[in-house]
Amino acid sequence: MSKPKVAFFDFASCEGCQIEFTNYGDKAFLELLNHVDVVEFREAMSETTTEPIDIALIEGSFTREADRARLEDIRRRAKIVIAYGQCAATGGINALKNHQNDYLPCVYGKDAGMPHLASQKALPIDAAIKVDYKAFGCPMNKYEVLQIISHLVHGKEPVIPDYPVCVECKRRETVCRFAEGDHCMGQVARAGCDAPCPAAGIPCEACRGFVDHPNIPALKKVLVERAGFSKARAESKANMFTANQLELKP
Amino acid sequence: MTALFIKDKEFHDFVAALVGATPVYAPVAKRSLFAFERLVSADALRLDYDVTILPPKKLFFPPAQELLKFTGGKFTASVHPEEKVLFGVHFYDVKAIDQTDQLFAEKNYDVNYMAHRQATTIVASNIQKVSRRAFFGTVGQEVHPKGHDAYLTKIGTGYVFETFTPKGEALTKHGNFEPATDTQRAEVVKVNAAVLEQCPEKLTHKSAEIATKVRQAFKNEELWRECAVDCFSCGTCNTVCPTCYCFDVQDTWNVDQKSGSRTRYWDACLTESFATISAGGGHVENFREERGERFRHRIMRKASYLNPKLGGPACVGCGRCSSQCTADIADPVRIINKIMAL
Repeated sequence: MSKPKVAFFDFASCEGCQIEFTNYGDKAFLELLNHVDVVEFREAMSETTTEPIDIALIEGSFTREADRARLEDIRRRAKIVIAYGQCAATGGINALKNHQNDYLPCVYGKDAGMPHLASQKALPIDAAIKVDYKAFGCPMNKYEVLQIISHLVHGKEPVIPDYPVCVECKRRETVCRFAEGDHCMGQVARAGCDAPCPAAGIPCEACRGFVDHPNIPALKKVLVERAGFSKARAESKANMFTANQLELKP
Repeated sequence: MTALFIKDKEFHDFVAALVGATPVYAPVAKRSLFAFERLVSADALRLDYDVTILPPKKLFFPPAQELLKFTGGKFTASVHPEEKVLFGVHFYDVKAIDQTDQLFAEKNYDVNYMAHRQATTIVASNIQKVSRRAFFGTVGQEVHPKGHDAYLTKIGTGYVFETFTPKGEALTKHGNFEPATDTQRAEVVKVNAAVLEQCPEKLTHKSAEIATKVRQAFKNEELWRECAVDCFSCGTCNTVCPTCYCFDVQDTWNVDQKSGSRTRYWDACLTESFATISAGGGHVENFREERGERFRHRIMRKASYLNPKLGGPACVGCGRCSSQCTADIADPVRIINKIMAL
């Protein structure tokens, strides 16, 4: 793919993943612009396009039915759609709200019925349109995104890990959180981050979501038996970045 | 072979001299556990370690090893071996290194592994503390450790240093050694034999019987499914194993889209996509899709498949998989003894 036309779009998100795209440093960012033609990127330019594009990077989760038409339009125009960042890939942090039904009156009181508060569940964008690749992470890993784009530029299939964080902890010879009486979700969390948190003594929160087929019953069992969690805490532990992926039913 | 003796109080100076003369990699404390790392001072050496998180194989076959750099059609090798001493290796890891030596030498002779391996002098050491899941006393007893250059045994008031190669012999110039007496040499045999009896876990049968019966259990799908119910497919049993040697190779492009590098990474057959292959036309096929199939594959590799090639099992009883599996389902002793009792 020679100098692909690349466009950014955003839905329910903080747009931090788009900002992260400008953080490669001046030299690398300007060099990258020799290889991709950015045609829409509202964080960094005023121009927009209604023309066909090669690679659409879509940030944010799908939270309003009204957004479906816009997503479908992007899909129609784009050769390749990449769910860009965790909100787009799995629903991300936004999906926390999928487990709450009592917050409207509590937070907004008499204004709880305001129309803009009416939203559906926070879903990944592949709930609305076909997605070709996912760039996981909150924020996405900009070096991984660079590799995804590079592979596409060279006509190769991007390689996106679907093994757990444990693999990367072992490659770094990190002392396992469980070996120190702590807990962790690295066994079910999608790798690709190079496991910085456990290496710093912090349990993995699965910010890149789960691997394709996480063993959730085993996770709950290990959290209870080895980390001393209550059953309820073990159940809720995995909700932060993974609400849409969690099969809580035993 | 020569056997020398060095007193406790002079041993520290020997290690310090060694560290001053050449890069030394040895067991050191890492938080609550141990790891082979570059020794910065003789004081950091922990010969009283039980087992390290990763085996010393990582020095010849690093978890992520850049193989080459490329620019356009030009390639430059990235493997630059460092002459070094690997110090304080327990005999089970010596056995494992001997296995990876054989496996990386056959068929496609692996120059990247061998370059690092040949640049290394290995000093083994006796086991002063047995780890809580070790079973080295009963696994592959017919295979003896070889390939190391020297062997250090702690006895009474010092250490006996046996050398087997000129590389091992050369190290003795750094310390104030004296010839070991017959009594000291007898003590070495006693100390190293005694530790074999101290393992907390034991296999109930000999390697040949195990190899046959485990192989016969291949079609017992119920058994493998049950064993793997709590498996995370996280690959830890592979990535901490001293005899696992599978890897994946990936290319990375630099931002200029012309240059880049090729790196190999440890792979793990327990992970879900390990056996996924291209079936052409954008299709893929995973020939070990189920957890039980992947679990079975590891046990077959460790207890049966490689035995004819290696003369014994591809397992040395270090217990790393048993102690580091968070679901505690990876212990070869439990699985093999269960099969032997069927």
